[in-house]
Amino acid sequence: MRPLTHWFRDTTQDLGLRVIAALGLVLYLVFIVLPVFMSLRSSFTDENPLKAGSNWIGLANYREMLHDTQLRDSVVYTLALAIGVTAVANVIGLLFAMLLDRTDLSYRVLRTIAFLPQVISGVIVGFVWKTILTQDGLLNSVLTRSHLVSHPVDWLGTPHLAQVSVGVVVAWVLSGFTTVVYLAALQNIPRELYDAGSIDGANARQQFRMITLRMVAPATTISVTISLITVLKLYDVIQVLTSGGPANATQSTAQYIVKTAFSSDRFGYASAIAMFLLALSAVIALSVTSLLRRREVDL
Amino acid sequence: MTVQHTGAPRPVTVPKRPVRTRRPAEPQRPRAGRARWLSPARLTLAVVVVLVFVSPIYLTIVNAFKKENDIVSDPAAPPVHPTLGNLRTALDRPDHLLQLGLRNSLIVVVCSVLLLIPLGSAFSFWISRRRTRLRAAILAMLAAGLMIPPQVVLLPTIHILNFLGLAHSYPGLILSNLGGGYFSFAVFVYVGFMRAVPDEVVEAARLDGAGGLRVWWSIVMPLVRPATATVAIFLSLWIWNDFLNPQFILGPLQGQTITTGLYLSVGQFQMDYGQLFGIMFLAGIVPVAGYLAMQKQFIAGLTAGSTK
Repeated sequence: MRPLTHWFRDTTQDLGLRVIAALGLVLYLVFIVLPVFMSLRSSFTDENPLKAGSNWIGLANYREMLHDTQLRDSVVYTLALAIGVTAVANVIGLLFAMLLDRTDLSYRVLRTIAFLPQVISGVIVGFVWKTILTQDGLLNSVLTRSHLVSHPVDWLGTPHLAQVSVGVVVAWVLSGFTTVVYLAALQNIPRELYDAGSIDGANARQQFRMITLRMVAPATTISVTISLITVLKLYDVIQVLTSGGPANATQSTAQYIVKTAFSSDRFGYASAIAMFLLALSAVIALSVTSLLRRREVDL
Repeated sequence: MTVQHTGAPRPVTVPKRPVRTRRPAEPQRPRAGRARWLSPARLTLAVVVVLVFVSPIYLTIVNAFKKENDIVSDPAAPPVHPTLGNLRTALDRPDHLLQLGLRNSLIVVVCSVLLLIPLGSAFSFWISRRRTRLRAAILAMLAAGLMIPPQVVLLPTIHILNFLGLAHSYPGLILSNLGGGYFSFAVFVYVGFMRAVPDEVVEAARLDGAGGLRVWWSIVMPLVRPATATVAIFLSLWIWNDFLNPQFILGPLQGQTITTGLYLSVGQFQMDYGQLFGIMFLAGIVPVAGYLAMQKQFIAGLTAGSTK
């Protein structure tokens, strides 16, 4: 018989448990890790679903990416969207959280309501906002009736306006999430800090800068990172709202990958762009996290 | 100004200022004269801001119960002549968009979550009792799963399912859900809780002759029920709302989930506002009702995850 100190080993070496645990890991390896390497391999080929087999074409796909203006525009738009939406959603989230940081019932109800945009699927969000924003949509009918504009504004049909409109909708979705994250952080700040602050003669603005902002720094790291990653993956809201139009103005890189794969049937090239998006996401996520973590320490 | 004495005990008396211990659970007292008139003003501001913020949701709800010309003449008005006509039109569609979509989504969500919970928790129990270095390495690999854009793994996933003979099928979609980033999420939630389970508890069960499976399922799982609630709630919501995977892994021939069904039928045909809002209302009501019913666990799960 084994000594008792080995019971942990025993527990985990129980066959039934190990089989279930291993199954989970195997599925993860098969459906996340393996696909990444398959994508990498495919990115060096001219794979196409319409013809059997594929040829190794080396770096040709990557070379093509350098001159692909549609790709370049999509990357620029995705990055601008990621930065803009993250900034707006985090500012709104912090302001909302500060406004709603009360424990009375009415505030709890308001908090519950404020998180709703995060619960509804991107497809529904897209359609509801589309109904509001199209040229003969609800916003224009309100604006023209109250004579705020002389003729309807095409919120989704003009390239620049559409780019901003998509940003507004995505920021709207994310703000529900950031609000809850910042609320949790605010509720963890001991009241004594503010009491001590006011005894020391700090005014509201100083208290905000010296106490609130510093104490929510870890929440900021989480919230900013998740916001950025969410926008980099974004597909459903844009697909419903504009399908990437007009004239590809609102096409995200994630969307361009799907279009290249399933509309142009160029699996190899789509894989190369996917590898680029993966690298971009990794660099952004890692650098932003380490930057913000260092900021947490400095503050 | 320094504010370092966070944990320091409060002074017993402060001249001219009675000491009140404030607990977060009780409503805050107005601090000074200013606060007394400020607090209704603040509540009004909060109500207005939140209502403006959720106005698209408000529009969906009120217009789902209004007649077409009432919607067009004043979309923001409450339903003065309420009607159930829109909901009836939405439910009576010959393609049974809502009924089939809700049913198919429910199948995918229930199967995926019921399988992800044992897979994720058993794996977490196993990894939480491993050496630190191995644990750190595996958790780092799993963390990548949360970050990888689904578009990157979409094409190979379809190839793999083809190879397994499961392409464009519900088992295929569910299988790919099990292996995706959802597994990472489940493990991250569970591991934190599993490590908090005291060794003595497991040891005692072990001495009583329980095997590993038994310890995990009958002893540890009941102890980490909050983790299971968080995992179940969030995975249900994400899988329910997923659009990309049902669109391409399931494909158009196998019937639609609620998201792809909406996309195909609402996106392709012009329809009047009444029916559109009716459909959106009925499609959105399921996750919203689930959220409202479980919002305490919902918020708790989110805050536990984000302040860790």
